[in-house]
Amino acid sequence: MRTKFRYVAAAFGLTASLALAGCAAAAPEASDSIVIDTAFTLETSDPGRNYVPTGYMVSKALYETLLDFAGSDESTPVEGLASYESNDDATVFTFTLKDGRVFSDGSAITADDVVFSLNRVAGMTESKANFLMNGITVTKIDDMTVELSTETPSLKLPALMTNPSLAILNSALVIENGGTTDDSDAAEAFLNETSAGSGPYILDTVNFESQVVLTENENYNGDEDIDFTRVVIRNVSEAATQKINLEGDDSQVAVDLSGDQVASLSDGINVFSTPSAQTIFLLINQSEEVGGVTSNPDFANAVRYALDYPALLELAGAGSEQATGVIPPSFLGALENGVDQELDVAAASLEASGYDGESITLEYPNDYPVGGVSFTPLAERIQSQLADAGITIELAPAPFTTQIDSYVNGTEAFSIWFWGPDYADSANFLPFSAGQKVGLRAGWTAEQDTDVVNLAAAAENATNFDERETAFSNFAEALQQRGPFVPLIVPGSNIATASYIDGVAYNSTWTMDIAELQAK
Amino acid sequence: MGNTPRATRRYSARSPLVGYLLRRLGTSVLLLFGVTIVTFALANLVPGDPIAAALGEGAASNPATVEAYIKERGLDQPLPVQYVNYISGLFQGDMGISLRTAQPVASDLSKAVPATVEIALLAIVVSLGVGVALGSLAAYRRGKISDQLVRVFSLIGLSIPTFWMALVSFNFFFLQLRIAPGSGRLSPALAPPPTVTGFYTVDALLAGQWVTFTDALAHLMLPVFVLSLFTIGLLTRFVRTSVLEVLDADYVRAGRAKGLSGPRLLFGYVLRGASLPILTIVGLAFGTLLSGTVLVEAVFAWPGLGSYAYNSATSLDLPGVMGVGLVVGVVYLTINFAVDLLYGVLDPRVRLA
Repeated sequence: MRTKFRYVAAAFGLTASLALAGCAAAAPEASDSIVIDTAFTLETSDPGRNYVPTGYMVSKALYETLLDFAGSDESTPVEGLASYESNDDATVFTFTLKDGRVFSDGSAITADDVVFSLNRVAGMTESKANFLMNGITVTKIDDMTVELSTETPSLKLPALMTNPSLAILNSALVIENGGTTDDSDAAEAFLNETSAGSGPYILDTVNFESQVVLTENENYNGDEDIDFTRVVIRNVSEAATQKINLEGDDSQVAVDLSGDQVASLSDGINVFSTPSAQTIFLLINQSEEVGGVTSNPDFANAVRYALDYPALLELAGAGSEQATGVIPPSFLGALENGVDQELDVAAASLEASGYDGESITLEYPNDYPVGGVSFTPLAERIQSQLADAGITIELAPAPFTTQIDSYVNGTEAFSIWFWGPDYADSANFLPFSAGQKVGLRAGWTAEQDTDVVNLAAAAENATNFDERETAFSNFAEALQQRGPFVPLIVPGSNIATASYIDGVAYNSTWTMDIAELQAK
Repeated sequence: MGNTPRATRRYSARSPLVGYLLRRLGTSVLLLFGVTIVTFALANLVPGDPIAAALGEGAASNPATVEAYIKERGLDQPLPVQYVNYISGLFQGDMGISLRTAQPVASDLSKAVPATVEIALLAIVVSLGVGVALGSLAAYRRGKISDQLVRVFSLIGLSIPTFWMALVSFNFFFLQLRIAPGSGRLSPALAPPPTVTGFYTVDALLAGQWVTFTDALAHLMLPVFVLSLFTIGLLTRFVRTSVLEVLDADYVRAGRAKGLSGPRLLFGYVLRGASLPILTIVGLAFGTLLSGTVLVEAVFAWPGLGSYAYNSATSLDLPGVMGVGLVVGVVYLTINFAVDLLYGVLDPRVRLA
């Protein structure tokens, strides 16, 4: 029996030794490798089908688009694979490909690749990115020139062409593996195994639930000068774990840290904090049937001027800013200044609204922090501030998945929600207009404010950038003054890196360009 | 028709165990059928629009995409038809397409389940070894200081929130002491071994990848430690109580009177006598470990069943939720079945033949 015990003890000892040996093997150092921790939203490596953030980050590294953005500046697209010019009506955009650019297999990038790639997205109606190509016609002019045209002026088109969903694919390779320009396309399985682009990296392995590995594209001949030849993007859903991994040098980049976590990072960690493109706002329903007293525009005004915005911003952490309007900073037409608290104005508006002390229900999702901002403390502070202004608020939290239905269906009288752009252009915020998608969720019909409808149309149909900027500013200003929305906070985006890494630039679509990460 | 009862009786009379197994198997199939109905009904009763959740604002505003999405997944069919399609798909190993990952649910689960089973198996083995040892010690040393210490330890194991313990132990052993690896199943520098079982440790050994094996084993240690704490506490208390009851039994006294002592008395008489309630709790604990590792998996970025279930539920991924429900149902039925069979192995009084 003693012999048996010895065997058991030896087995335990061996297991412990192996574990320690594993620990020793667990921290391999490789200066040309980098590990990025992020909470995955990833469902495909096919850029034409992707429409989620982690997928964008991956696509951006593997593929290139006709146009790009320089660093964090998303106001003006710059050259990518091509330069472009447009006609005076902003309905025809001519793209000229750069000479000599090649895909990862060494073949040249031509107009045929552009036409195929864009028409593929336009033809795959099942693709979530399909709507990006709505109303755009693609025509090959010659081997290096492509024309994109629209029926109506579309100055958002250049910004659309920066979207990684509209990346340029190696058409011959994709067609060979099932690619088509309609719903019969069957190239996704191939693209989930192999990349077919011209970006600085190629796809090594992908597991949609755990990690993606990228390696250097040795045929890359673009402008990026990458420092890291192997990139591991890991799914680490818990931000606290991302922080510990980064501090313990198990990873070199953490993407999803909240403002509070950034504040408590140990020394030797770089943090790049910047306002994100999300806007957290109050919705005040203008339908009498839904909202009762909230439908009086004076009530919205009372709320707007009763709030202490700097006090609300305290809940948001590093990189956050007060929302100056429905258009967040770094987008064309964003306002310089937000609303200041003016209790006299709030009191006068409240009296004019006919509010008689009744309790107003404030609905919000309580399990869906946006940029590290939890809605429950935010709602409690709003409740407290509005109580000081004489408005009684009753809080009604609910899980996101159940709350969102009543928001989308426009049946909430008073609620907290958020909005982020689908692509990097201010046209994304036009749905806040009267009669548009978000406007209607607030019971704000086109007939209720035709001036705002006209301002939105002017912004949509502008034919030059100066005219467009003015139109978007006017639109944002009008909403700020009399819209049924009270923009509150633009949460920060915090990307933390090891001290020896530089080059992080936040982008609202692809979060960051991995190729731009540099070793100091 | 007339021969059937006789045949059954003859069959059962010859082998009651086979009859019992067949009955249990039949019951299990019926129960699984019930599980599919319940999960399907619940998944479709949940308020919220899964299509909007899956497509996002932009795509959900595109009628062409919404129409194609609904058609591709058969969501335009009446619910009973969808259920029939779901069941007929199950018979072919098709659990539907996840609305969240856009991958086949069966494929997702084939990766997630082994990841969880790997930590759960190791955790139950550790828990069984430590829990039985501590529980027996406490019973033998009843009322003494070692008994008190063991009871306090088991109480701590039961009381500490798993999520908190996971974060603290990760911070302490990885960040402070640097003796544990970071999160995940493997270090980023290593590629997973070729898949045979889905257990990285086993697959690495089968592939002869020694470094991968030790790395995978090292990554298992902290999650297993955290998961085991609760189960050890639970088992320790049950073993102590069961052993105390058996220690006063006549057959144990008789064994002692014959001169038996030490391990032979413990393993041959005491633990065998106390094994039925222990086995019951081990079965339940194993089921809980397999289906309740959400928080530990989140902290250790472990791509297992718990993470998959949580992500599916919070994103209204109904096929994913139904897939997890079915797997958990199978797990509990299998464990209960195995436990019932083991009763017969351990206790001749309940044997059928």
